[in-house]
Amino acid sequence: MITVDHLTKRYGAFTALDDVSFVARPGRVTGFLGPNGAGKTTAMRVVAGLTPAGGGSATVLGRPYAALPNPGRHVGLLLDASAQHAGRTGREVLTLGAVLTGVDRRRVGAMLDLVGLSEKEANRRVRNYSLGMRQRLGIAHALLADPEVLILDEPANGLDPAGIRWMRDLLRGFAARGGTVLLSSHLLNEIERVADDIIVIGNGKVVAHGTTEELLAGSGTVVRSTDDRALEGALRAGGVSTTGVATGGLLAETDPETVGRVALAAGVVLRELRSGDERGLEEMFLDLTAASAREEVAA
Amino acid sequence: MSTTTRTAVRDDAALQHARMPEPIPGERPTRGIPFGRLVTVELRKMLDTRAGRWLLIAVGVVIAAALTILFVQGGGDHPFGDYLQATTMPMAILLPVVGIMAVTSEWSQRTALVTFTLEARRTRVAWAKVVAALAVGVVAVVFSFALAAAAHAAAIGLRGAEGDWTFTWTALLGAAGYVLLGLLQGLGFGMLLRNTPAAIVLYYVLPTGWSILGSLWSQAEKAGEWLDLNRTMNPLFLGELTGQQWAQLGTSVAVWVALPLAVGMWWITRAEVK
Repeated sequence: MITVDHLTKRYGAFTALDDVSFVARPGRVTGFLGPNGAGKTTAMRVVAGLTPAGGGSATVLGRPYAALPNPGRHVGLLLDASAQHAGRTGREVLTLGAVLTGVDRRRVGAMLDLVGLSEKEANRRVRNYSLGMRQRLGIAHALLADPEVLILDEPANGLDPAGIRWMRDLLRGFAARGGTVLLSSHLLNEIERVADDIIVIGNGKVVAHGTTEELLAGSGTVVRSTDDRALEGALRAGGVSTTGVATGGLLAETDPETVGRVALAAGVVLRELRSGDERGLEEMFLDLTAASAREEVAA
Repeated sequence: MSTTTRTAVRDDAALQHARMPEPIPGERPTRGIPFGRLVTVELRKMLDTRAGRWLLIAVGVVIAAALTILFVQGGGDHPFGDYLQATTMPMAILLPVVGIMAVTSEWSQRTALVTFTLEARRTRVAWAKVVAALAVGVVAVVFSFALAAAAHAAAIGLRGAEGDWTFTWTALLGAAGYVLLGLLQGLGFGMLLRNTPAAIVLYYVLPTGWSILGSLWSQAEKAGEWLDLNRTMNPLFLGELTGQQWAQLGTSVAVWVALPLAVGMWWITRAEVK
């Protein structure tokens, strides 16, 4: 279980995280989706205690990361596959992890085997590894001490299609055993194939969250009003679930007429009311990525 | 434009094919990583890279060369003190790099990311590095004393040199202090600068800098009596230290060893680990 509560992080004038809240639950794979630079990595780094939060809090298994005893035995992290000493062999990297977390050294061989690094590859220095091999080593390192929670930043990067498929199976299996998985990606189709829940983040804000089915269905009603908060309260009181929308407003899981009646009863002035099925997750995500994609082309 | 309603295509069917890691039986730990284990790991990290290994090989080669010269020159007829210097000096000069790299490689190789997520209590990691560096230093000092004694004995036995085993305890303490303080200073510079070339250059340029400054400016010359580690440690080799010499040694150690370590540790607990 990972709980992120009103997390804020600023670097000078740049806001990396703006009031980010979400929960990743045990037994489920939670996909953290957003374009490059949206704040996914920053949020994960704050959760892992590497970056101090500007405001708000993050807990893993009910505690701040720094308060976890022997954190490797509780949380498996892969934040950057390249963050390994180039002069150490893959086997040595895992051996150091095994000694530090106090797990049986035989697990090193078992993990190498699990992620498909051969004896020969394991004895090569990380300097000579391809990105895909580094990712596999990083996953082996994350799983080494049998954690309950996995936090993986763009784990599919550099993996070939077979590797990506293998990773999906692995993460689904991990969640099926009751583990919590939080993984990030900037690719929608990668996330939608593995995640039970999706959190969409853009420009440091959570712009949508919900189960994969809900978000992909894209049905319901998009509504904007002069007081979204009051409307949301009224809708929820009436048993209608709602989610935030990228461009402001709410996505209500019901038809426009019901929303209109609730708004009338609550005395909230509507500014927009339309069927939400014309605006799926994919389009929302494309909108989000368009801005950063343009910047990348220009750069 | 209307999007077709899509349902998530998940690969639950493939689940039975996925190999999963074996769970570790028993309870998850409720206590943190013991300090001794942190020290063990830090020691291993100092020696398990090429850089670390080559550095030790280099120390060995320089010592071997120095001993060979002593052995050949003048029929090997030198006092024990000379042999001791031949084994200790190379260590005192080169081992601080082990201390520097124990810290800076965490940043240059970005392993700090892993180190500080497996042990989030960063000060403990920093102290483990200090203890590990001191352990390396102590082993090196003991080894250098033993090697010097063996070489001197060999010179007496094989080359017929006249034995001269006289030495003062302060000289031994000085030799040990030289190696250990150098290692700690290296660690401190590493923590302060977190950049291998910068820390190494500063470490080696500093003593030369003092002598250049001292020759140009008499105030610096005076300050050097209290701040130049090379000068303040020198009396250790010669014999007894006066009260003022101890004070000078203490001041220079506080400025170049304790202060960088303290500031470096403070920074490490606060820094954003990239």
